[in-house]
Order: sequence, then C-alpha cells, then structure tokens
Amino acid sequence: MFSTNPFAAVIDVVPAGLVQSFVVLMAFAVAIGTVLDVYHKGSGRYFAQRRARAKAAARRPMNAMRKATAVVKGLAEASVSGEFCKWNRRLSHLLMMYGFILYVIATVMLVFALPEAAAPGPWVALWDLGALMILAGGAWFFFFLRVNVAYDGDSRFHVGRADLFVLLLMGSALLGLLWHGVQALSASAGLNLTLFGIYLFFTALLFLSVPWSKFSHMFYKPAVAVQRKLEEASGASDLPDPTPRRRTRS
Amino acid sequence: MPTYTDMTRCDGCGECVDICPSDIMHIDPVYRRSYNVEPNFCWECYSCVKYCPQHAIDVRGYADFAPLGHKVRVRRDVDKGVIAWKIRYRDGREKAFSFPIRTTAWGSIRPPADYAPPGRHELDSPLLAHEPEALNIAALPSLSTPNEKV
Repeated sequence: MFSTNPFAAVIDVVPAGLVQSFVVLMAFAVAIGTVLDVYHKGSGRYFAQRRARAKAAARRPMNAMRKATAVVKGLAEASVSGEFCKWNRRLSHLLMMYGFILYVIATVMLVFALPEAAAPGPWVALWDLGALMILAGGAWFFFFLRVNVAYDGDSRFHVGRADLFVLLLMGSALLGLLWHGVQALSASAGLNLTLFGIYLFFTALLFLSVPWSKFSHMFYKPAVAVQRKLEEASGASDLPDPTPRRRTRS
Repeated sequence: MPTYTDMTRCDGCGECVDICPSDIMHIDPVYRRSYNVEPNFCWECYSCVKYCPQHAIDVRGYADFAPLGHKVRVRRDVDKGVIAWKIRYRDGREKAFSFPIRTTAWGSIRPPADYAPPGRHELDSPLLAHEPEALNIAALPSLSTPNEKV
C-alpha cells in the first residue's frame, strides 16, 4: 500500500493534465475564498485599523531588526500553535495542521512529480501519514474538545456551521485512505473510480467552501501572532505589565 | 458596560463560558469563538476578562457616561501571584496598578471535588461538609446549651 501511488490508477484513465489542473484550481479556490472571507468579515479593515492604532501608540522606534525579530517570534509561535492555553487543544490542532501540510505537499508531489504507479521515495507513505494525522487530530477535537460540546452541553454528534471545515477535512482524509486501501486490495477499476469520485467531491467541497468555513483561520492565526509580537516590541500593547508596583504612574 | 470578545485573539477555549457567573458568555455557532449573548445582564464583574488566557475579552463603556477612547485593561499573572490594571484616559494619560492576588501558592487550595463526599448522617450535623478539619482547626466554637449552665 505504501509503495503504490494512488493517483497513478486515475492517471491511467484520465489525462494527467486534468488531475494536475484540478489541484491548481483548488489552490486558486483557497486564495479567492480567503480574499472573499477577509472582505465579508471585515478582517482586512480590522487588521489595518489595529495596525494604525498600534503605530500611534508605539513607545519605541521599530527598526528593521526589531520588526524582523517580532515577525520571526510571531511565526514561531504560530508554527507550534502557541496561542492555545490547553495542551490537548494545542496537540489536536498541531496534528491536524501538520497532517494537512504533509497531505497537501505529498499530493502535489504524487500528482506533479511522481505520477507513475510505483512512486519512489517516501511520498506515498507521507500522504497516508498526513491523512492519519488529520483523522487522529480531527476526531479528538470533534468528539472531545469542541468547546460547545465541552462547555455548552451540546451532544458529541452535534453539527453546526463551525464544524464544516473539520468535517470536510476529515472526510477528505478518510475517503482518501479508504480509496487507497481499496486499491491496495486490487479492487475493480469501477469501484476504484467510484471511490475516487466521492473522494474528489469531498476534497473539492473542502477547498470551495473556504468563504463559509473556518479554513482561512489557518492564515489569520499567524497574522494575529505577528501583529501581537509587533505591538509588544513597539510598546503599543494595551495590556498592563504584571510586575508588582507600589506607586501609581500618571 | 458589557464585555465583548476580540474574535481574532479568542482561541475558543471556553474558559469564559465556564467562569461567567451570569452564564452569558457563550460560543458562537458559526465561528466557535466566545461572545456575550446578553449584554444587558453583564454586571462587569470582570471574571472573564481576568480569566481569559488570550486577553481577548474587553469591557465596552456606554458612551453616555464612560468617556470615549478610554481603556481599562487587566492582566493576571498566576506565576507571580499578581493582577495588574492599566487605565488609559481619553487624553492619553495612563495609570497602572498591581496587586497581589493571594497569599498562598496557586493550586495549593484543594477544590471541593478533592474531598470525599459527606455521608448521609452528616445531614443532621450543624457543621458544613468537612468542617472543622478543612478549616484547619480542632473544633468550631459553640454556645453552651441551657442544661450546661451553672
């Protein structure tokens, strides 16, 4: 199973260019969906206002070195989901985030660089590993860590619009694994293509639903972390310093 | 002066939902971030503001009596055992205060769930659960009964 490129069986039937075009289209869908999301939620305007306020409240001049350090710190925080205060939420998000990154990179490699059946290198195994990480982190989050389940008393199976992203992400990963597993069992070409069609449908929904789902929060979070670090570095943060003081300052 | 949540800072951990004494901090079903469902019922206890690990909750002053542009921010530092406040006036002046939160180490007080549940016979006792040992005293003071008077 780990040595056979799952996309090779499709590329035997469908031109490779068509499958590659689908991947490129999905990348465009994410970019356009994120722009629409930023527009309709007013996030772009909010970030611009906050930046202007922080600039006006800055206490220290920000040279290029300070800015670069703050940006690196913000990105480092986002890369380990450092904004989470609870380890279990953090770990489930890290599993989903790095699983998804692995899954996307491996897909691109398998579709563009290694479309032959016996794909060399670790990419097939990494594709499966990415999907498994998504499933593990996603199921953990969905059944045990969703805040409306943990605090608002909703059922573990309650589904709302906020769950669109995690459900589609898990759906894509699960169907991908199922499709790959069925291929490994030497199933008929008809069953293989049917499963591929279902997999493709859910994967397309995942990327086309960006304006309505929480997909774009994976881009907002690093932006917020960087902005917060820049505010801290320039002294513009409105939060007090918890160092004990005896006298008030005016 | 109801609370509001900065949705870009909130990570949806639900601590504010848990601590709000009015039960008015809820989770948005679309974005899964907290929000105040009933601003009129918020009595500005600041529990959620202090407890939020992301400092994502703030209190908005009503424009008719709170000067526009003011800010009251708070930060709780559990490790230092300190709570710090920063007051920013609309003319830009700032005042900062820091106070100790408690005299014992954080986590050193046992929560009620750590104690064994009281037995049924303790319903007849005038003492509250786990008194007097939980108060670290041998016995509670009591009034003498009429029969004991000399």
